[in-house]
Amino acid sequence: MSERSILLVEDSEAIRTAFTILLEDAGYRVMGAGTGGEALRMAGEHAPGLVLLDMGLPDMSGLDVVRRLKADSVTAAIPVVALTGRDEDADRQACLAAGCAAYLVKPVDTQRLVRDLPGFMTASPAA
Amino acid sequence: MEHLHVHLQGDPGTAQRLREVLAREGFRVVEPPPEKPAGAIVVQVRANGINGASAEVEMEARVEELERSVLELRNLDVAKSQFLTNVSHELRTPLTAIVTYGEILRDGLLGEISARQRDAIESMIGSCRQLLAMIEEILTYARSTATTIDIRPGEFGLREMVAEVRRMNESLLDRKNLTFSVELGESLPPVWADRDKVAHVLRNLMGNAIKFTPEGGWVKVQARAAPGQPGWLQIEVADNGIGIEPEHHELIFREFAQVDSSRARIHHGTGLGLSIARRFVELHGGRIWVESTLGEGSRFFFTLPSTEAVPAEGEAPRGAGGAAG
Repeated sequence: MSERSILLVEDSEAIRTAFTILLEDAGYRVMGAGTGGEALRMAGEHAPGLVLLDMGLPDMSGLDVVRRLKADSVTAAIPVVALTGRDEDADRQACLAAGCAAYLVKPVDTQRLVRDLPGFMTASPAA
Repeated sequence: MEHLHVHLQGDPGTAQRLREVLAREGFRVVEPPPEKPAGAIVVQVRANGINGASAEVEMEARVEELERSVLELRNLDVAKSQFLTNVSHELRTPLTAIVTYGEILRDGLLGEISARQRDAIESMIGSCRQLLAMIEEILTYARSTATTIDIRPGEFGLREMVAEVRRMNESLLDRKNLTFSVELGESLPPVWADRDKVAHVLRNLMGNAIKFTPEGGWVKVQARAAPGQPGWLQIEVADNGIGIEPEHHELIFREFAQVDSSRARIHHGTGLGLSIARRFVELHGGRIWVESTLGEGSRFFFTLPSTEAVPAEGEAPRGAGGAAG
């Protein structure tokens, strides 16, 4: 598993580019995916150190992506951080229950995100 | 009634006699096509022996249109909620891009910037976040008016929630040098309510208190057992800010009724916050009100059930051997 690499799953190209600039500046190698299908394939092939996952994807729900990542032994240990537009307790609970290391509401505070990333990456995956 | 648009079902003989009775009584019976047309009343003919005025007919006028309308409205409600969720997502996406790029520029990731450029970008980001908060408020309001809005009650303490809202307002509290204090009775039972909705009410009331209190003032959050209401809590958010005129004490809880447009303009509000708060409190069976003197400050109160609230008939919120929540 590549500690300093992040799989960024986000269907908005503008946001994906912005986050890529941000994360690369912080010293990470960034792979971008625009759909859930792409995300699952890339997570399996490249074993990133973290998945930053937008929960509103065009092809499948973010929750499904998390569940499938966690169900596959190859990707189960990769920490997943949910990025979402919905600030609701029920959604937060569902994401954490599915195995997400954190639930962040967009737009996130970029400085704080960069500060918190190492913690997410060492977070032990949900048992 | 000149036309009785009926669809007679059942025994053909009885139906024929009913038809004759109706015709004699001056009704014009319109025979509908096999498919019942919209607007027709279905009459189920069950009785035998119809005989003029003494006819004993049990008619079941099932107004299917009504049922269908209710179903359609319900579907519309679901569609509306779904639409609002999508709109929220769609509006957040470009704003997220703007804020994120703004922060990248501000932090010099794309090259050095001057102090003046930094201020300009900072102001741009602040405005974006403000816009986002207002969009959220409008959407929350729209969702709160849905007839199928659900309450998911659970147990939680106020202390943590108040601390969280305080953190969200930290910078403004500091900037205005406000004294913030919390007094929650040690022996108070936990709240039994919908966490998200109560958080919204507290965010609104505490946000307003901080917003409408000038520099150097104070804001205080308190909770106590609701007087005369066993098992209920009364939460108070008080400040020594600008206050509200008596004639506006009711008005401010009504939607689209801004007390004073200049006030809204200065403080950038949608004016929906308090009507959402009222709706959320009332959904729990609680009450929200204000006591205020212009120029001296405001005290907003609301009541919520605690875990010790007397359970409604037939259900046990908790404690009664129940797996609750």
